[in-house]
Amino acid sequence: MIKKKVTILNSSGLHARPSAALVKLASKFKSDFYIHMYGYRVNGKSILGVMTLAAEQGAELVFEVDGPDEKEALKNILELVENKFGMQDE
Amino acid sequence: MPFTPQPAIPIKDKISVSYLVQRLKERVHIDLVACAAGDCGDHRYVTEADLTRPGLALAGYLELFTYQRIQVIGNTETQYIEHLPEDKQKEAFANLTQYQIPVIFLTDGNQLPQYLLDLAEEVGIPIYATPYETTRFMFLLRDFLEDQFALQTMVHGAMVDVYGIGILIAGKSGIGKSEVALDLVERGHRLVADDVVMLTKKSSVLMASATQMSKHFMEIRGLGIVDVMSMFGIRSVRYQKRLEVVVELTLWDDTSEVNRTGLDHDTVNIMNLEMPYITLPITPGKNITVIAEVIAMNHLLKHYGYDPAKAFQDRIQSSIAEKTKGKGNTMQRAIEYFEGDIE
Repeated sequence: MIKKKVTILNSSGLHARPSAALVKLASKFKSDFYIHMYGYRVNGKSILGVMTLAAEQGAELVFEVDGPDEKEALKNILELVENKFGMQDE
Repeated sequence: MPFTPQPAIPIKDKISVSYLVQRLKERVHIDLVACAAGDCGDHRYVTEADLTRPGLALAGYLELFTYQRIQVIGNTETQYIEHLPEDKQKEAFANLTQYQIPVIFLTDGNQLPQYLLDLAEEVGIPIYATPYETTRFMFLLRDFLEDQFALQTMVHGAMVDVYGIGILIAGKSGIGKSEVALDLVERGHRLVADDVVMLTKKSSVLMASATQMSKHFMEIRGLGIVDVMSMFGIRSVRYQKRLEVVVELTLWDDTSEVNRTGLDHDTVNIMNLEMPYITLPITPGKNITVIAEVIAMNHLLKHYGYDPAKAFQDRIQSSIAEKTKGKGNTMQRAIEYFEGDIE
């Protein structure tokens, strides 16, 4: 199990489309993916779960990846966050 | 992976005294009148749900005095104070006011002399008086505080009210929890929450509800997000429902052990409460929705005192007992005599 602190970079936060991109990517991997925020833990493969957080720009989350392909999964997920979820400037 | 609930966190770790008093007035309809330091309530915080009657502390025994709790002064304490001469009264009351007490409630219409109220005013301990009878007031206050400081956790699954039984459908992402929930809604059952279920522990009950954000939305893979309440109407949703059975959907695997008799009851621990737990492997031709309804009805039957697995077990045992006595028959038809084709 690996945990990593992440900051949301895109200006409009983690709204529907970025959430969808995140969930889609996470679902490609076998590992379980959880996001910690406000002391709660939501399933990162559930779009409603991720959107419930309504994480704003600058929000700090902790990603938790656990499973056989956890390293690769986390690497890909972090890349997506750094690329502002593939969103053009909003 | 077995169903694993998450660590519980309290809804709030403190509430201010002014918030408490305002809520008690508005929600619990308790009359409260500020006697001293009524304006200090914004900076005084209640951090636990327990209450203290400070009788022994007034008498001077301060070991184990739980000053951080709300103090309730009722008839006994008031009469104790009143029977003392004035200087002793001040001395006794100073035993309390030397601590950082969040708030003192005077119940049953009791009053304290002005010079004692002034002592509290000096150190900024709010005192409120209420005509409510002491034990009744303490009960209402405890109930309110327990809700305020209740533990919460978030679980992944779909919560549905099936025939009045709260069923949490758990399982890995993509196994079809939402689809089962949608199917249940279509059959007239009520959705509480999908995907993100908030569980609140109140005494020995777990109440499930949606989050403010995801309320009555649902994600159907391949379709996206749908709004259950707009589509199926008000009868298809509920705000909250007590959790009664956890059903975990798993993929069928030849090595997995499943319950075949129903004699053993598995439980899962959520916030230190044992909840009935059923593992349901998904196999071709299995209608999970109908099984969910059967689970609910079976739970109801057991609640009403009829356990089918046990009834069957009893039947087998009595048959075996008969046979050992030499009275029993071999395999028998369920009916002795067919009267034509009637029933």
